[in-house]
Amino acid sequence: MTFLHDYIYYIGAFGLIFIGLFIMLVKHNLIKVIIGLSILETGVNLFLIAVGYISKGTAPIFSNSAVESERMVDPVPQALVLTAIVIGVAVLALALSLAIRLYHHYGVLDLRKIKEQRW
Amino acid sequence: MVSPVLLIVVPLGLAFAIPLFGFISKRIVKYIPIAAFAFNLAVALLLIPEVLKHPIVVRIGGFPPPFGINLVAGPVGVLFSVLIAVAGLLVAIYALTYIKEGSKEKYHMLYLLLLTGATGVVLTGDIFNLFVFFEILCISSYALVAYIGDRAGIESAIKYLIQGAVGSSFLLIGIGLLYGLFGTLNMADLAQHIESASPISVFVPMVLIITGLGIEAAIFPLNAWLPDAHSSAPSSISAILSGIAIEVGLYAVVRVIFTIFGVSSIFMFLVFLGILTLLIGEMCAFSQKNIKRMLAYSSIGQIGLIVFAMAMATSLAVTGGLFQLVSHTLGKSLLFLAVGYMIYRSGSMEISSLEGMGKRMPLTSLAFTIGAFSIVGLPPFVGFPSKFLIVQAALAKEAVLFTGLIGLVLLGTVIEGAYFFRVVQALYFKKGNGDSERNEAPVTGLIPMFIFVTLIIVIGIYPKLLTDVLNSAASEFLNRIDYIRSVIG
Repeated sequence: MTFLHDYIYYIGAFGLIFIGLFIMLVKHNLIKVIIGLSILETGVNLFLIAVGYISKGTAPIFSNSAVESERMVDPVPQALVLTAIVIGVAVLALALSLAIRLYHHYGVLDLRKIKEQRW
Repeated sequence: MVSPVLLIVVPLGLAFAIPLFGFISKRIVKYIPIAAFAFNLAVALLLIPEVLKHPIVVRIGGFPPPFGINLVAGPVGVLFSVLIAVAGLLVAIYALTYIKEGSKEKYHMLYLLLLTGATGVVLTGDIFNLFVFFEILCISSYALVAYIGDRAGIESAIKYLIQGAVGSSFLLIGIGLLYGLFGTLNMADLAQHIESASPISVFVPMVLIITGLGIEAAIFPLNAWLPDAHSSAPSSISAILSGIAIEVGLYAVVRVIFTIFGVSSIFMFLVFLGILTLLIGEMCAFSQKNIKRMLAYSSIGQIGLIVFAMAMATSLAVTGGLFQLVSHTLGKSLLFLAVGYMIYRSGSMEISSLEGMGKRMPLTSLAFTIGAFSIVGLPPFVGFPSKFLIVQAALAKEAVLFTGLIGLVLLGTVIEGAYFFRVVQALYFKKGNGDSERNEAPVTGLIPMFIFVTLIIVIGIYPKLLTDVLNSAASEFLNRIDYIRSVIG
């Protein structure tokens, strides 16, 4: 059980990543594919946080001498995740607005019926 | 002394200032990209002599590497910046009259952001910063592919977006794993530490990062989005996507393999991937009836050739690969620009509807012909010295395998010649149905085309103009120790 206890965040993160990828590969509805993309991105963000996390850690404030440096959580992955969340929001917003336009053109969101572009 | 930061800051600032300029006057908006890239071109050209002596490392915020984010303007970065500025400037001139419909402010803003992202990718020395600039490039190109808003454009934009977003997620997971292993994001610092780690633990992030970047670079199994996106975007955007966006993706792949990981065992795999990409791209291009799809598949073929050359990893081959990259940017941008107005006049993308264009649009047809000959690699044009260098490099390997592979490359070139000459024949030697009145592209369309033509011919006749930059760029890729030393000090 210690394995599960030590790596629970990684297991959760990669679980979300694989669930997202699975949805994107299997589902035919464009909205569901976009939901899968969102889950995938959430999993990636959770993974980045898990990389820098220490169990029972606190914020890295060096002026507060009560906290030893071993207990401090690495702040860099959190800064990365902030950036990644913003990028994810932009991608999702663009994807959803394109889905609306696609629906105007075709009247369906089923990807099996939308394939005018071929090799 | 000019600072390389200006190459990123000025276009980025102007991009976000475009809506403000739009309040003052709707007519000045379209001149802003021209101003931005004229400035960038001047700065990048001024940087060249300095950079050839010693790469410039800019510490943003004054933190010494590996702590802050740093920009590395080495020969590679400046070569790409010049290329991006040249293509950006000329295509911006072309767009003055070409972009007629839709919201022009949005077009020009996204256009500036796309090329700012590209410049950022080639200049940055921090792998997470590379991801951020890459996302700027990708998101603006998704939006620009859908700019016209017709069925084909929206469909290919959503296809491109979904594949690109999965690729970016892979890239981010790879970066996260690298950070978890080494606790740093600086590319030089990563390169320094990578040898101390076990090969297996480095292998997973490497595969994830190469897959993520390979989607944008359209290396063979990952290129399904490219023909759709490049053929349904407006022609000015196709020129930038084909000429700049995939090249920047390829730069990122090469940078990651050569500088960060420095693994030689993957090169043979990439050689075969390059050959496969080349042959599949060329054969698909041969069977196309739609001219823009044909050019898009031809881009895949050229990317395969560049991957092949880079993966041979000798100094001659990398120089050849970079040269081929320059000649592809010039040639393919020119072809898309010329085709843009031909499609506009004939109203159809079918190759058969271009018959007789040689009489209707003689100058545009001439520009197309020169671009096509350069991509195929005929002598007075820039495509010839670059392909010649790659062949020479493969033969210098003195291995039976590479001699055989270069035979396949030449087979690809023959197929390339076949489909390009078919179009040129349709332009000049077939009678078009319909009006044969002379109806040339407007002057703002012809000026950038003929600047491209001049560059293609001048560099084709004097390839020595680029030799210094290309040689030192190739040695920047191959000597990772020098790169690490120049950044960390």
